[in-house]
Amino acid sequence: MKQVITLQINGQPREVTVEPRTRLLDALRDGLQLTGTKEGCGNGECGACTVLVDGRAVNSCLMLAVEAVGSAITTIEGLAQQGQLHPLQEAFRQHGALQCGICTPGMILAAKALLDEQPRPTRDEIRFHLAGNLCRCTGYQKIIDAVEAAAAALAD
Amino acid sequence: MAAVASGVGQRVPRTDSADKVTGRALYSADVFRPGMLHGAVLRSPHAHARIISVDASRAVALPGVHAVVTRDSLAADVALIVEEEAHAARRVLDLLAAEKVRYEGEKIALVAAETRELAEQAVALIEVVYEPLPALIDVAAAMLPGAPLIHDEQTVATLDDGQVLHNIAGQMHRTNGDLAAGWAAADRVFEDTYTIPRAHQTYLEPQVAVAEVDPQGRVTVWTSTQGHFAIQSNISKSLRLPLGDINVIGMTIGGGFGGKFGGVVDTYAVLLAQASGRPVKLVYSRHDEFLDGRPAPGLRITIKTGVTHDGRITARECWAYWDVGVGSGASWATGRIKGVYDIPAIALHAFEVHTNKPAPGAYRAPGAPQVTFASEAQLDSIAAALGIDPVELRLRNLPDDKPQVAFRRTLLAAAEQVDWAHRTAGPDEGWGVAIGEWTNGAGPAAAVVSLAPDGGAQLFYGLMDLTGTDTACAQIVAEVLDLPYERVRVTRGDTDSAPYGTGSGGSVALFSFGNAVRDAAQAAREQLLELAAAHFSDQAQAVTVADLETVDQQVRLRANPDKAASFAELATLALRQGGPVVGEGRFSPKPSAPTISAQIAKVHVDRGTGQVTLLEFAHALDVGRAISPVSCEGQMEGGAVQGLGWGLMEEMLYDPQTGRNLNPDLLDYRVPTSLDVPPQQTVLVEEPTTHGPFGAKGIGEPPIAPGIAALSNAIAAAVGVRLEHPPFTPERVWRALQGLDPGPART
Repeated sequence: MKQVITLQINGQPREVTVEPRTRLLDALRDGLQLTGTKEGCGNGECGACTVLVDGRAVNSCLMLAVEAVGSAITTIEGLAQQGQLHPLQEAFRQHGALQCGICTPGMILAAKALLDEQPRPTRDEIRFHLAGNLCRCTGYQKIIDAVEAAAAALAD
Repeated sequence: MAAVASGVGQRVPRTDSADKVTGRALYSADVFRPGMLHGAVLRSPHAHARIISVDASRAVALPGVHAVVTRDSLAADVALIVEEEAHAARRVLDLLAAEKVRYEGEKIALVAAETRELAEQAVALIEVVYEPLPALIDVAAAMLPGAPLIHDEQTVATLDDGQVLHNIAGQMHRTNGDLAAGWAAADRVFEDTYTIPRAHQTYLEPQVAVAEVDPQGRVTVWTSTQGHFAIQSNISKSLRLPLGDINVIGMTIGGGFGGKFGGVVDTYAVLLAQASGRPVKLVYSRHDEFLDGRPAPGLRITIKTGVTHDGRITARECWAYWDVGVGSGASWATGRIKGVYDIPAIALHAFEVHTNKPAPGAYRAPGAPQVTFASEAQLDSIAAALGIDPVELRLRNLPDDKPQVAFRRTLLAAAEQVDWAHRTAGPDEGWGVAIGEWTNGAGPAAAVVSLAPDGGAQLFYGLMDLTGTDTACAQIVAEVLDLPYERVRVTRGDTDSAPYGTGSGGSVALFSFGNAVRDAAQAAREQLLELAAAHFSDQAQAVTVADLETVDQQVRLRANPDKAASFAELATLALRQGGPVVGEGRFSPKPSAPTISAQIAKVHVDRGTGQVTLLEFAHALDVGRAISPVSCEGQMEGGAVQGLGWGLMEEMLYDPQTGRNLNPDLLDYRVPTSLDVPPQQTVLVEEPTTHGPFGAKGIGEPPIAPGIAALSNAIAAAVGVRLEHPPFTPERVWRALQGLDPGPART
């Protein structure tokens, strides 16, 4: 049974038609064409579909769209403001922290959740917080470098 | 030519990085076509079974279903044909299982419906009656004379000594040098057997394609591939369509590592689009990936090596049994057993053995990690037995460095990075060194570089950017034309528009396309300078190209820098005088030079749990010339972690009774997370190769090759046990420490 729900996405109310079983991931990608959120496994094992729900990093493949009603959702499309990349986005570019790019949106959002909570994490804390986001290309080193650099840039 | 701040050798962000950090980059799953349907696949639940009947009538009758494709509805002359030019591999398989299924997950029927859920519902309505057959998952069991034949009688092989082997897909036997003399010269002979499991490439973007067929039958495919021309050719050969009736659009690719040269989705999406008359998207789930991907083949290998007391290798012989599942094509990699050493006599016996598993595919340096593990782990055992330092033993057997080849320099660079001679280790800690080798291949390539009226450059070609090659090629154009690389716009053509080019695999891409791009940029530069020479010439002075230089996006007279014209002015002038500035470059294969990846790992082994923790990791690679150093480091770091993952945790597991995959998800097939990797020290060694663009070598493959051996060697150094069956899981390590059988080795 389909129904229209309103989701708060990147600061805007967005109407989308869903079934009760529709995953948040599908509401974003198929319903709203917000295809920056990626699907890597559909089981909550890879983190590629990470979005922020009320500031927390969530696997959008494990959340139903109807569960997200009333929450503030941030997707990768909502991170740059007025054409200015977020310091995390800029740091990922500058540090070579992305290759194929499929993990990148989820990785950046997971890192944002960390930095919002803990502005100057150690490298080990970064590694711990990103452990739910798989990257098969980079070996993680440059990602950790980028998050560290973004933390420093945000602190300035 | 003045140094360009973002030219060859400079550290710059990838050209696609802004799109990728903002979610704007479009991947194949992001393609939505008007009227698009969704595909689903009926897969075999059995690893080996006879198909008695397939009844799809209930699926066909389900409202919202637009096409159901079964073996019976296919034309008799179609077959799945996959060619990987970069790896010189060719596979021919049934498109859909006919009389038998030969592995769990094999495709039996296809459905296209309004939604993916509906398509999956329809798939569940297809009734198949099976008669299960014994499943073979182990190469040793599959070769026994009594083993059931997975394919047919042609897979029964009789060896020279009269021995009969079953399920043999192919063999390779080769001897170089005088083996008898080599054994006679040996003071000691070592013989060891190693078993390496199947590993999945685990690109984070599962396989996906969208296909559309127009009323004239012309096909368009949007796909995630390393080589869109390969996909075009595969579809053409498989479905017997004219090549010119297929346009393949290569979208941004979410990782490939060798596994995306086609064969699992593209042709099937086309079949569904043909049958339904609508665009169809076919997406693999992660589960599909593990059941019906094309992973790296497993290997059981026995290696026998003769050495003198002072550690010089005199002879080597090996027997390799590759687990090729229902496919073929892995035995050629056995030649890597030689490594980069001077070995006077060597003999190889390689067998490709059928099992009830999917056909293997390429995975980064295909075959090298498996074979290199055997040769480099054994070399370490030899070093220990002879009391020779492992680095020193390798140096004694490496040929001297010479132009284009820097084996010793590369190994020493890694050793120096960790101060190998003075390395220290705490309790249960140990250091391991290993080296892997690769010589990049090459393929055809072409590129066009033009100058826009604004003075910016445009690069157009048919290269899939897998590893950052667009960035490196933009840097080459920047270098030649003397422009910031941001002023180089790179456009990838589809197969309808771009000149033919090799796929991105086998580390061929930058080596091949970089040459074409450099030549194209050079040709554009010459046109620009000739135009400027004509423009600056007057009755008083005839200016030649030799009188000119480029500075700051201007062409000017060396003798009189005030006489200058900007690239934009000249490019605009060209529109009236001679036509737009356009240079082309073409390349056909030329040889490269071998390179080694030298890796050193320090580990700690927890004797209580068997857990191996990586403490330090150093990696040196001879890149020839680093066009884009950030990308070089990225290839090294990422490739190394893939090798370390295979050594520590990655293993496709199959039930010995049913033959079914036991870990078809990322929770049970573990790949390294950010917590599993050590800090990496990467050292770029630069020994240019003659035919590489600016001396560059292809470098994507070698970083994965030595990791498993480096780990095994480090564990042996730490706790004195030699593990012969990766991955070195806590259970295997603990059992070995207890002196127990380390558990079943699985190919």
